[in-house]
Amino acid sequence: MTRHSRRRPSGILSLGFGRPLRLALPIVATLSIIAPLAWLWQDSRVPSAYSVMNMGYPDYGVGAMTDPDGSGHGGHMQGQMGGQQMPPPRLVTDMVADPTRPADVRVDLVTRQQMLTVGGQPIRGFTVNGTSPGPEIRARQGQLLEVHLHNESVADGVTLHWHGVDVPNAMDGVAGVTQDAVPVGGEFIYRFVADQAGTYWYHSHQVSNPQVAGGLLGSLVVLPRSRIAQQVDVTAVAHTYGGVRTINGKAEDLHMLARPGQRVRVRVTNTDNGPMKIWTGGPYRLLAVDGTDVHKPTDVSDRSVTLTAGGRTDLEVMVPRDGSAVRVQLSKATAVIIGPPGADAPVPPQPTAELDLLAYGSPAPLGFDPAHPTRQFDYRIGRRPGFVKGQPGVWWSINGRLFPHVPMYVVREGEVVVVHIKNHSGEVHPMHLHGHHEVVLARNGVAATGSPWWVDSLNVLPGETYDIAFVANNPGIWMDHCHNLKHAAQGMVAHLMYEGFDTPYRIAGPSDNQPE
Amino acid sequence: MRTAYKVLAYLVAAEVAVQAMVMVWFIAGLGKWVEGGGVLDKAAMESEGTPFPEVPGVIAHGINGFFVIPGLALLLLIISFFTKVRGAIKWAVIVFVLVVVQTQLGGLGHDFPLAGALHGLNALALFGVALYAGRRLRAATAAAVEQPEARTAAPV
Repeated sequence: MTRHSRRRPSGILSLGFGRPLRLALPIVATLSIIAPLAWLWQDSRVPSAYSVMNMGYPDYGVGAMTDPDGSGHGGHMQGQMGGQQMPPPRLVTDMVADPTRPADVRVDLVTRQQMLTVGGQPIRGFTVNGTSPGPEIRARQGQLLEVHLHNESVADGVTLHWHGVDVPNAMDGVAGVTQDAVPVGGEFIYRFVADQAGTYWYHSHQVSNPQVAGGLLGSLVVLPRSRIAQQVDVTAVAHTYGGVRTINGKAEDLHMLARPGQRVRVRVTNTDNGPMKIWTGGPYRLLAVDGTDVHKPTDVSDRSVTLTAGGRTDLEVMVPRDGSAVRVQLSKATAVIIGPPGADAPVPPQPTAELDLLAYGSPAPLGFDPAHPTRQFDYRIGRRPGFVKGQPGVWWSINGRLFPHVPMYVVREGEVVVVHIKNHSGEVHPMHLHGHHEVVLARNGVAATGSPWWVDSLNVLPGETYDIAFVANNPGIWMDHCHNLKHAAQGMVAHLMYEGFDTPYRIAGPSDNQPE
Repeated sequence: MRTAYKVLAYLVAAEVAVQAMVMVWFIAGLGKWVEGGGVLDKAAMESEGTPFPEVPGVIAHGINGFFVIPGLALLLLIISFFTKVRGAIKWAVIVFVLVVVQTQLGGLGHDFPLAGALHGLNALALFGVALYAGRRLRAATAAAVEQPEARTAAPV
């Protein structure tokens, strides 16, 4: 048309296809960007009601390298399982404590949605029996605990999960997996035998991110059949309400009376979303981790303990004989101060070194042989851009995939399972497997040499790898998720299921079950 | 389309400036809070509330960096296909690549703090490139106004 257009005919455009091509190319280029995004977006959406059974993909793991009975050949087990005639599924609701056995301890818990006053600040939160944390439940090892949950006013509904207790599956309190969320006016009865002595806690597993942050939680202590060796037993539930650090719901140090020379057991529960450091003024012993005793703990000085989110640790300290108090720092912000009336102790500086549980205490038999696992899984945590539930963002991935395309780890009862956790996501993750305790075999390839280090909540730092093992001895369908509950709500949730199990419950659906 | 391109490119540059501002605002607030005896660890950081008033700075940094800026860069790339200005696509691609590198460096900085230093350096590169992309479009638009059927227009 003009001299300009004639001056620059080039390539294919000069053959007369110019105009359509010039129009088509940008559109094709745009579509080549938009179409994959649109596909990823629709692929990330979840139905209005769905079963965890249909979530993600089954991961049958890798069989043992050496097969004791010689029936398998190692490698992937999918073929073996797929080829079998499946009996009708067992339901998670069948997995209960002996229904004919009367309860030894009965507790009634009433949940409410209300304003709290923490450190003088009004906080929108939740209470159990009128307080946050709720009442501490104490039982003796072997007792059958029966908890009647009544939801008075929590609009989203509630459940109670017994964090760290390997309860029968139907009692696990996961909305949409093991029960429906209890609506306002509703009730649910939890029954389980408290057969592991130790420090645990309970919290809602319905819309758990805001509900736990808002204080719908409490402590559960299972005392051993024999008396504990310490003269004073202190529980310290650490929780941050709207930015305010507290111990047992109070934004101040916790003072406990004890006589000089007395030994004190301090049970610390971290109910927050991130790890905290604990250290003391004098020497201490780490008696238990996540409800399991450390074998032959020794005195520790000038080292802090890392307590991961959801984790518990029992420390033993001694009240000084000089009339002063002993101080247990729960982060720099709060402390437990134990001693005679009016006694205090200076704030000990935060140690730079950390107690390494990989080499603490003395070895003891595990009760199973993790060197010959029946099944091995990968749980690789990453972070990448994509869509989760239709929302664009940079999300946590499990084995490279985003929620809901996450693995369903499939096991059979009695199997020895090894999980290789690898965190290349750039953030710390407190990994929590429901219904089981796992023993740490190695970290970053370095084998454990100390006491068996049993956990239900494991602090996995960026760049770390952990090899952990457990025995599949509690059939059902169990969450295996990050206990930074914000991360869980962002899709960092996988499940462990026993072959042949099913759940009648649905995520979302009429009860609006939202476990995260 | 050219106006959209220009605006998007300038928005990316402006957002980079905002990113620097909110981050330093946050760090300054953190420093003041620590001076006053405040404690910040992961548990405090992850709690629902804001321990000190400048916490929204780091939240804004995350939202901007993970959502808004990548979104703007992607839009810029798409718009660039339609501008019919030589080099517009190339510079939109460079902006997009720098944004991707920037988010990666930002994430990597959690593992390797030195990557955070590169994150700061790359921010300057992104700021400069986005500004340049916008400015050269303005130049191209001005040229097109002078010569309505300029060589980059679409006639046959």
